[in-house]
Amino acid sequence: MAIDRSSSNDFGRPLRRIMMAVLILLLFGVFLLWRIDSPRVERFRAQITDRIVPNLDWAMAPVTGAVNLLRDYQSYQRLTVQNQELRSELRKMQTWKEAALQLEQENARLLDLNKVRLDPRLTYITGVVLADSGSPFRQSVLLNVGARDGIVEGWATVDGIGLVGRISGVGQDTARVILVTDTSSRIPATIQPSGQRAIIAGDNSSAPPIDFLENPDLVRPGDRVISSGDGGVFPAGLLIGQVAADPGGRLRVRLAADFERLEFLRVLRDHGAETVTEGGSVILDGRLPAVAPAIPVPPGE
Amino acid sequence: MDTLSPLRLWMMRAVFLLLALILLFFHLLPIETQPVALFQVDLLPPLASIDPAEARLRDLLNQSGARYLIAPDFLIAFAFAWSVRRPDYVPAVLLCAIFLLTDLLLQRPPGLWALLALIACENLKLRGRTLRDSSFGPEWVAVTIWLFAILLLNRIVLSLVLVPRPDLKLSLIELALTVLIYPVVVLITHVFMGVRKATPGDFDSIGGRA
Repeated sequence: MAIDRSSSNDFGRPLRRIMMAVLILLLFGVFLLWRIDSPRVERFRAQITDRIVPNLDWAMAPVTGAVNLLRDYQSYQRLTVQNQELRSELRKMQTWKEAALQLEQENARLLDLNKVRLDPRLTYITGVVLADSGSPFRQSVLLNVGARDGIVEGWATVDGIGLVGRISGVGQDTARVILVTDTSSRIPATIQPSGQRAIIAGDNSSAPPIDFLENPDLVRPGDRVISSGDGGVFPAGLLIGQVAADPGGRLRVRLAADFERLEFLRVLRDHGAETVTEGGSVILDGRLPAVAPAIPVPPGE
Repeated sequence: MDTLSPLRLWMMRAVFLLLALILLFFHLLPIETQPVALFQVDLLPPLASIDPAEARLRDLLNQSGARYLIAPDFLIAFAFAWSVRRPDYVPAVLLCAIFLLTDLLLQRPPGLWALLALIACENLKLRGRTLRDSSFGPEWVAVTIWLFAILLLNRIVLSLVLVPRPDLKLSLIELALTVLIYPVVVLITHVFMGVRKATPGDFDSIGGRA
């Protein structure tokens, strides 16, 4: 037996060692390359994902459906109670809807009087969630819309109610959304009604903390947190959530979007704010070239 | 013994690839889109006191509750179990390809975890000859040590190159679950997949084949 072992080793060993060395070098090289030139490798990652995940869709859809059906079973048990609650909610909502409609008309009249021009280009593309990040350490989802549909990195993604995340990584048919709960997510925000600027920094918990707040005394729990549009990444005014405090006294955001079940997400087209690049022509008359670069700034990273 | 005919060898390699892809598939299912709620704190003040209507709405929408489940890392457990039992069913190239694909699809820094897992598997293959002869205890210890080493080395390298590291508490829970699930994985490997420790008779056929 001992002879057998050594003989089987003698044949395989040198080849195996060379093979191992090659593989180790390859993997380490990939890691180093990623560390040095992250965007290129991330694009490669997006392409690989783009190639593989949409092909699994036919299998994923029924399995996801089955899992969700099982989960829904709990809520079926209290269906009647829920129905009654919903009906009473609906009656209340109808009065609110009337109020909202009146306010909207009033608002439209006032805007018209003031000749305010709202951003006319804010449209959206709706995508279906194909896959999640696959690990508890990262919070992201994969949408079935990509470069083919004109998706650009950095665009904001919302569900029906609030901000969900932003596009990071676009393949031909897929795009990855980094959720606001992810540790790498940083969203510039405004807190209404005080107008304080802050950063919503994801920390892998369901209520991300509020960072870089100028004056925490002006902020009260329950205040609304909306995106500020700073940095030109996002359109301003998207609802993120409400301010709340944790027992340690740190301010956090109770997110408005329903992260429990993300199925359809809207990607907001954002063509970036045009920046004023030329000096005032009245003041600097003739000293600057007449043709100024009128290129809109691409949505920044 | 005809268990090591080339056909069976390649079939078992294909089985491992299929197994890895199925595990990856279940990882990617879009059913876990919220953060793990294990270390979550209750927010103050409760939503019901600020905005009762919103709180009721949330309550209605909230169907399955918070996410407490962390899946153990089945892929590495199966890779270890197969490496110890039948090194030739899981050649290094196959392992390398699968781990790298997992890294890419699961949003990890590509290459690093794959590298560590590959080294661990190869080491277990080498030590497999001694582990195979002994009982399950030493194997479990060796696997635990390697899982811990992978976690530690991963964190060390990531902090050396200034990459944000994954959450330690979650990693440790995942590690513990993987260690606990390992006997089950071995059982499944042994009973349902027929990947068993090679008996002395098999070594002759390996030698003969080589």
